[in-house]
Amino acid sequence: MTPRSLLWLAIGLVVWAVLPFVVPRYIADLLVFTGIYTVAGLGIGLLLGHCGIVNLAQATFYGLGAYASAYCTVMMGLPSIVGFFVGAAISMTLAYVIGRPILRLTGYFLALGTLALSAIASALFFEWDWLTGGTLGIGGIPKLDLFGFLLDRPSRYYFFVWIVAFACMAVARNLVDSRTGLMLRAMRDSSTAAAALSIDLQALRTKVFVVCALFGSLAGSLFAHHASFVSTQSFTVDRSISFLLIPVIGGATSIPGIVVGALFVTFLPELLSKLGDIHQILFGLALVSVVVLMPEGLVGAFGKLRARLTKRSSGHG
Amino acid sequence: MADPLLALREVGHSFGGLSVLRSVTFDVPEGGIIGLIGPNGSGKTTLFNIVTGYIRPLAGTVTYRGAVLGRDTIQQRGLQGLVRTFQTPQVFEQMTVLENVMVGCTKLTRTTMLQDLLRTPAARGQMREIRDRAEAACERFQLTALRDLPAASLTAGQRRILEIARAVAGEPHLLLLDEPSSGLNVQEIDGLRDWIVRLNEEGITILLVSHDMGLMTVARTVHTLYFGEIIASGDMAAIQRDPRVREVYLGV
Repeated sequence: MTPRSLLWLAIGLVVWAVLPFVVPRYIADLLVFTGIYTVAGLGIGLLLGHCGIVNLAQATFYGLGAYASAYCTVMMGLPSIVGFFVGAAISMTLAYVIGRPILRLTGYFLALGTLALSAIASALFFEWDWLTGGTLGIGGIPKLDLFGFLLDRPSRYYFFVWIVAFACMAVARNLVDSRTGLMLRAMRDSSTAAAALSIDLQALRTKVFVVCALFGSLAGSLFAHHASFVSTQSFTVDRSISFLLIPVIGGATSIPGIVVGALFVTFLPELLSKLGDIHQILFGLALVSVVVLMPEGLVGAFGKLRARLTKRSSGHG
Repeated sequence: MADPLLALREVGHSFGGLSVLRSVTFDVPEGGIIGLIGPNGSGKTTLFNIVTGYIRPLAGTVTYRGAVLGRDTIQQRGLQGLVRTFQTPQVFEQMTVLENVMVGCTKLTRTTMLQDLLRTPAARGQMREIRDRAEAACERFQLTALRDLPAASLTAGQRRILEIARAVAGEPHLLLLDEPSSGLNVQEIDGLRDWIVRLNEEGITILLVSHDMGLMTVARTVHTLYFGEIIASGDMAAIQRDPRVREVYLGV
């Protein structure tokens, strides 16, 4: 690492550590959501940027994680960690069982397949009210207790969520840099040639789908303990779409891009809502502008701009 | 006599009632260079797709190292040492030259998803091995100067060499080259011919499909395919003298 990037890292860390204490509570709350959405978005980013797969089902796994945490803690009185594990196990199993058949599809058909999964799951969350509480939901989910340290304020939970998010980013980075990551990108660029080099496309896609579900479920459990209340409204197809927007906006091949995308989908609607009724239209406009003008997302566009600026300054001596 | 490395027996195929291959039978002996020529639409690529597992033949059998390749997938055939290139080079465009070659080496190692996610010492070791092998292959195929460029920026000739380097990095026994000279200039074709001879001398058996009569002179035996049937076999000189081949190619 160069001294300069080390300096930036240090500044970033200080800002990150101080932020929850200096901003108003509702901003701290949004920052917690940014961390949660980063975790959920990482999985979709891996699928979109490295496999070329559009996943519109992340709200399903997010919901499974959240309900598992809610049910295990509130209904069964189990420790919160159990909820995390149960949610992850159910999500990964479902992703494997459903992934095997639907990942045979490609392109738009696969995207529609995942959308259908999200729609079905959303309907089941509503119908199975004995398990999920239906529209009334499950309330009174306890705050996370970390070895006797209660994460009861947004500032405390902020640190926990972001440490989890950073760990997930490191895991995603590992995957991208690994042998599996190589094979994924090869498959995205030419599935025909990848097959000729003995890459098992089907197995690989399923594995990444399972990892994506794990991130989704983890984010869901984090959400349940933060909101202390979960209901069907949080796990609709709309939520799946906003999760998909995270890598699309930030830049699907970039891991920091996921954080940028998560900031965009958590903060922008909130900031725009101050402008009154027009805010949804403005959000839509912002979204369309990013997608049309910056196909590689905000991070990709920033990288290009920087490359152009350095080129220009060096060009003029 | 030793069993051939690859043997086709009475292989037949048709698309929607249109017969494209009719009872094709020939051998590819271990260590040989076998050529396959024929005009457009004669069934060369279909035959390639059958051998490499992209298509399952409707009739006949393909035997590799004494075992029938029945339901073996493309990937299983690759792991057994059967590797192909494509008529239009299929490079991984958004990846660098070195990464392209690294992909060719991935089949020589094994890691689990969990090892890769946690970046365990085993996963790192495997990745180092893949990189070392790929760097050696780049060096060998004179791609070192290009190694950090995205494959999308390469010329047709460079793409062809990259595709061959990537295939060879995976240590194939039988290399199937589909029209390797298409899109290359005369000089590049000479280079390609040298590579084919050199790789063969190192023990890689080669099955070569081409239009290019000049390139075909590297093959010890050439089979001529015409409307799904082999109409002539022999060395290139014999093929060029064959009246039926002359009729097909030259209309005389």
